[in-house]
Parts: sequence; C-alpha cells; structure tokens
Amino acid sequence: MYPIEEILRKGAVLADEVEVYLTEGVALSGELKRAQVSRVAESRYFSLSVRTIKDGRIGNSQSSNPRDWEKCLDASVASSTLATEQTWNGLPHPAKLDSRPIAFDPSLTPDNDIMLGLLEGMIEGASSHPVEVTSGGASLSVQNTTLANSNGLFYSRPRSDVSASIETIRENSTGYEFGNSYTMDLDPVSIGDRAGFLASASYGGIDISSGPYDVVLSPVAFAQLIGAVLLPALSGRNVHAGRSKLANSLGDQVIDPALSLSDDPFLEKGLASTRWDAEGVPTRHLSFIRKGVLEHFSYDLKTAYRYGKESTGSAVRTGHGGGPAIGNHNVIIDGPRMDVMEDEAIYIQDVVGAHTANPLSGDFSVELTNPFRISGGTYEKPVRKAMMSGNVFDMLGDTSGLGRDDRVIGSLVVPSIRLKKQHIIGT
Amino acid sequence: MDGIRYYDIRHVCGQSTHIEIDNGVIESAGTSFFDHAVIRALSTKGWGILTVDNFGGTPEKERERLIRDAARIAAITAQEVSLADATRGIRGIPPMHEDPREVSIGEKAEIMLSIEQAARIEGIVNTRANYTERFEEVTFQDSSGASEQYGMCRSGFGIMAVASRAGSLQMGYERRHSIRGLNIRHQQECGRSAAERAVALLSARPARGGTMNAVLDPELAGVFAHEAVGHASEGDLIQEGNSVLRGKRGERIGSPIVTIVDDPSLPEFGFEPCDAEGCRVERTEIIRKGVVAGFLHSRETLAAVGNGHAGNARAMPGEPPLVRMSNTFIEAGESSTDELIAECRTGILLKGSRGGQVDPGRGVFQFNAEYGYLIDHGECTSMVRDVSLSGEILQTLHSIRLCSKERLMHQGYCGKGGQSVPVSDGAPHVLLADAVVGGHVSD
Repeated sequence: MYPIEEILRKGAVLADEVEVYLTEGVALSGELKRAQVSRVAESRYFSLSVRTIKDGRIGNSQSSNPRDWEKCLDASVASSTLATEQTWNGLPHPAKLDSRPIAFDPSLTPDNDIMLGLLEGMIEGASSHPVEVTSGGASLSVQNTTLANSNGLFYSRPRSDVSASIETIRENSTGYEFGNSYTMDLDPVSIGDRAGFLASASYGGIDISSGPYDVVLSPVAFAQLIGAVLLPALSGRNVHAGRSKLANSLGDQVIDPALSLSDDPFLEKGLASTRWDAEGVPTRHLSFIRKGVLEHFSYDLKTAYRYGKESTGSAVRTGHGGGPAIGNHNVIIDGPRMDVMEDEAIYIQDVVGAHTANPLSGDFSVELTNPFRISGGTYEKPVRKAMMSGNVFDMLGDTSGLGRDDRVIGSLVVPSIRLKKQHIIGT
Repeated sequence: MDGIRYYDIRHVCGQSTHIEIDNGVIESAGTSFFDHAVIRALSTKGWGILTVDNFGGTPEKERERLIRDAARIAAITAQEVSLADATRGIRGIPPMHEDPREVSIGEKAEIMLSIEQAARIEGIVNTRANYTERFEEVTFQDSSGASEQYGMCRSGFGIMAVASRAGSLQMGYERRHSIRGLNIRHQQECGRSAAERAVALLSARPARGGTMNAVLDPELAGVFAHEAVGHASEGDLIQEGNSVLRGKRGERIGSPIVTIVDDPSLPEFGFEPCDAEGCRVERTEIIRKGVVAGFLHSRETLAAVGNGHAGNARAMPGEPPLVRMSNTFIEAGESSTDELIAECRTGILLKGSRGGQVDPGRGVFQFNAEYGYLIDHGECTSMVRDVSLSGEILQTLHSIRLCSKERLMHQGYCGKGGQSVPVSDGAPHVLLADAVVGGHVSD
C-alpha cells in the first residue's frame, strides 16, 4: 500500500543502506469533565521514518505524509552528510522469528460503547466514596508498525492498547488512579474505587515532624524514581559518554544483593513486548543487575558499533527524526517478597516532581502524594504534607523487601518496595 | 451543516530541524516534515474531535465528511458545551533579526560545535549540545466564518556539561530559545558557564532541609509563578473543580506586593499571534496586588466559569486545544537584590531551575533549583546543590516579603495532557519567608 519497496530501491542508489519504519493507527479517546463525558476524539495517524547510512554516516528524516516519501528520503540522505562518521557494520539481516504477535488482542476495536463502559465503570467505582470526580479519560487504540531495510528485512507488528484513568477530590484531598493493558482486562470499577479511596482517605491529614522514617513506595512512586535515575544510568550511550554513575561498576555490587533488574521483551502482559527492536535486531532477555551485581548495559546498533559492543536489542523509536535510540521494553524488578504494609511506616502512593531529580548523581527531593501512616496492614492516618529527600542509588542499597503487587507501569513492571530510614521533611 | 452548531479546523504543517552533538560528535542533524489537522465539532452536547495527518490539499467534500465524522463520534457525550463570544484578531508577529531557515544547517552545526567546545574545560567529562528549529504554518477556520493564517518560527539551543571527580558526577546547563530568529551566534559563553557550574557543583554540599527564608533568582521565581499560581488559574481545572483557586476570585491570597500575569501577546517565547480557537490574545492579571483577579480561558471554560477572557487555548500540532499558560511572570518590585539578601539574614539563595510540578486540586507544588548559596548574616556564603522547594498555593504568596526591580524571562516547554507547548516564565528576585526546603539533612 505504501511505497516501501520504492523507497528501498531508490534509497539503495543514494546510500549504502536504507531503512523504512512506518507506523499507522487509530486511537479513540473519551474525556470526563466532572462525571460527564465532555469530549470524544478519534485520531488517525501516520508516520514514516527513513534512515540512510553512507560511509558510516547516519541520516534520519520523518514525515507524516506518505506522498512526501521522496522529500523524506532526500532529507535523510542530506542529514547523513552532516553526521560524524563512525564504525558501522551494517543493518540487521532477516532472522527467523516467531511470527505470533505478543501483547496484542485482535478483538480490541476502538469502539464508542466499550469506551463509554470504561468511563461509566470508573465513575461507579468512585461513587462508593464521599468524593467528586474532577476528570478522567479512557482510550482504545490499534496500530501497525512495519520495519524494512535494504538487507531484505521486512517485519510487521500489530499493537493494541487500552487505558483508563480518573481523578477525584474531597475538599482539597485528591486521588488519581489509572490502568493500562493490551487487552480488555482492566477493571474500571476498581480503578475508580482506588481513586475515590485515595482522595477520601487522605482527607483530614495530620502533620508529622521531620526525621528518618521507614517508607513504603507504591509501585507508582517506585516507578517514578527508578525511571528518572536508574534506567538512564544503564543506557550504554550514557555509560560511554561519561553520564552514568554506574559506568565503571560492571561486576560490582551496585544495589541491595536481594534485588535483580532485567528487561523481558517477551512478557505476555508487557505493554512494550516485541520480538524485534526498533531497528530490527531480535530482542533478548537482558539481565541488568542480578542479585545486586551489575551485569549488562543496554545498546542499540549505533552505540554498540562505536564502542565495540553488541546490540542488546534495546532500540526504541524516540530519537530525532523518528530515529532509533536506546530504551527498554519491560523492565522487571524482582527480589524477596514480603508483606510491606505490616510494620509501621509512611506509605507513599506517588511523588510530585520526580523529573526534577538529578539523573547523574541520583539525588532527589520530592513532594509526597497521598502519604499515609501505616501499621498492621492498614492505612492508619493520612499525612497532610511532606517531602522526601534522598539518593536513588543509596536508597536501593539496603532495602527491606518487595511487595507482592507487581504492576505494569509503561515499560516498567514493579511491585511496591519497603525502605529503611528515609529522610522525610514534615511541617 | 445540519445538526452541527459549531465546527473549527486547525491545520498545522511545517518542518523541524535539529542538531545533536555529544562529546564533539555530530550524532544527528537533519530535517523532518509534518502535516496535522484537528477538526472539532459541536452538535447537541459535547465535543467530537477528529485528528488526521496529511490534511493539506483535502478537497471541500472530504472536509465536510470529516466534520460530520467529528460530530458523529460525539454522540456519547453528555456534558453540554457552550462557547463564550470571542474577540477576533491577530497580532503582528515580531520580526526575526535573522531567519534561521536562511542559514545552512552545516553553518549552524559549526556554530553549535564551537559552543560545545567552549564547555570542554578541565574537570568536564562530557559535553552535549542541541539545536532545534521549528517552522509552523497555521491555518484556522470555524463555522462562523472566522479564519486566521500565519507562519511562525521558533528556534534555540541547549548546552549541558558533566563534571566528574572521584566517582561523583554533577551537571551544569544553559538553554536559550527565541521567536526572534537565529540566536546561536556569539553564545560560546553559555558553554563555558554551564561547564564552570558543573565543576563548582562537585565541591558544593547537599542542602540542609527544613523551613527557612529563601531568595529565588528570576529563573526559579518564574517557575514558582508558573507552578504555584499559573496552573491553578487554568479555566479547565477551575471548571472541573480541580483547583484550589476555584471560587476565590476577589479573595486575598497573597501579599499586596504580588502581581502575577500571563500575557500571550508579549513578544517572548510563549507568544501566540492568536490562540488555537482563533481568539485575540491579551494580558491577564491572575493575581493583582495579592488578590485573585482572573483566570485563563478557552471559549468553553470562559462560558462555564467566567472571570477573564478567552485567548489562552493552545495546542501542539495535531492535538486538541487545552487552556494553557504562555508568558507568565511576577511583576517587578522596588527593592534591590542586595536588599533582598540582607533582609533574608539567614537562609538560602536558590538559582536556576530543574523544573517543577503541581497538584492544583490539593494546592501543593514542588520545584527544584539547579544550585544555591547559603545566606549567613545577610551575605552569600558556600554553594549548595540539590535543593527543592515545596509549598501550598493558598499560603505561599503571603510569604513573599520583597521583590527586586529587574524582571527577567526564561524560556522553556510546559507539559499538560500529554502536550508540550513553548512558554516563558519570569520574575524579579523574590524573598520568600519560611519556605519549606527539601534537602538531605534535617535541622
């Protein structure tokens, strides 16, 4: 349907190698204002990225218009003339891969009634608490991605996605909850119920004094801090560029020996599962940290060729001009499980300002969202306002244990975690 | 069209150019193209919105079909949307002193390499520079016959330097963005100052957390205005009941020396010739002398909430408009910066910004300084790092004791609802009493 063969043919004349990455899809989304549906949006999108390589110089260009493919190809070739030359050992050749899609539900369709069911379910769930719904949304999307290159590689991959979220308020206490899956297994009532609980139970918070407290980070709060600091430190590009605190620590114990961190691209419930990465390298299970010891960093082809390493199949499409860059698929944190809620602690549902953490040093200082004093497995008292300061690397150095509540949050699959004596600033 | 009481089409096409340099290597440089349209329709109740790519050249009959498609998907909406009357008109786009499109990408890459080179001083282990340039051709039309058309270019650069010593890493960065044309010439000093800050931060101590007096520099005080007040004044959050400023118009929430403004007509990075609904853009005083004076609005939120004027609907290409800030600032005061430091007596001077975030419904915000200096007996002393501040919207403006005379604006991007739009924030130096500072050691 699209001129993939033509781009490859013409591109082969202009450059040593050519690659086409094409994504098209439809997304339907509905939004709540208070407890009413206020708008429905349908998005029909298309994106073409062309990468060319000539004499070790890599060029990229992107267009939202398939009719513009020649302009896009020319811009990609022009882009390659500007890039610095580097060692380049070629785009991948086709591999024999399992052709069955992962994390894809062919029965999922962007349908108004299904979406309305999600929104109404969340409102129903929230209504069991004395809260008001302020906003919310649900979306259903399907897309198809095709990757082809001048070595004869031609892969195609469908994806489906369903997501739902809702915000609630009781006076000035707010609650937010969301869910995300590739299939219709979300329970909108329980999403609404949790958002309602958080706003309602946070009402009438007490002040606490500053000092060291044992802390339980929910999967959401934990994912925020790991995403801001730990994942960038594992990227091969940051490692070789001098931007990773872990650069010289391969083989060393870098976090608590009870914890392991890996990327599983084949996870059935993972939202970013795939058998080939964004430049066609077959994906693999990648162990970053095993029992506290740093084992691997992640690489795409460009970084691997430059530093004499091997691609770990970690490329995703977040680069300029729609080009590939190092990312991850489903990063899993594992270790001994425990009842994290049993002993006294401050429970933290989410944090405000994780993106302001220092990604190099790991230092952070964030405001807490829905903090509670917990004991004996129950939320004893809400805390009105508090901050938490620390260092992500130090924080993971000596932990108490992980919860049993693993949750898929974007490209992370994490449980809650119990931490010892964290620095809390009260009021 | 039958049954459709309103529709509009906003079509944005253009091209973006980038240059990315990492440790002296041009990692990537080139141009990409986009063509997106958003078609919104109102029939009986709420919005139906269709976003499509490659809208350019769509025949009239097909446009009508897309408008009907947009109206059709709105069938499940229940909320009745009304639109307030709009003042129309487009403001002149400030002229560019040098059109970036007329300078070759090769020359721009050479200039960026020289800025990056300037950051390579002793102690620096990594330097990274990026240049972005985006030209947008915008066409707006609605069912009332209103139509606007303009082309606008935004460009700018960032430079980051990483310093390392004994396993410790620190960074310094500078960024400059503009609507006034190519701004990368003669900016090597930015590279050097980013590098010197990174090296200096290696010797800085972590801040001591607790409640203390704080002087914020214009960049950080601008972020403070943006996070602590700007978001909570957005009409959609007020309408949803998700802002502590809801129902507060006319109430005093701050000291009489505090006036906070949003002004998309100001020729700064958040400038818009007209908003994403084709409305004339104007200055809004959100807080006037400590009193809540107005909110930021789209036509929908103005009709639902009142207090203000439309003109703050903004959108990324291919995304529906949301109520957004533009150029947000605290008005200058009458003191000198030295007077602020002296008046602070014992506390902290906070400089630069690593960003911030707010929960407007709860009324709590957080933002992070790039670095700071302890103030002891009215004088700046040692350097500290990793300092953040948090506060409560309804209390914090009462704590502003003094504002200095000079206001400065800084450019950046603001995220909301998955969309990122260009903004500028600004302020004079501001003295904040009893600020809650997050640091690694408690009092």
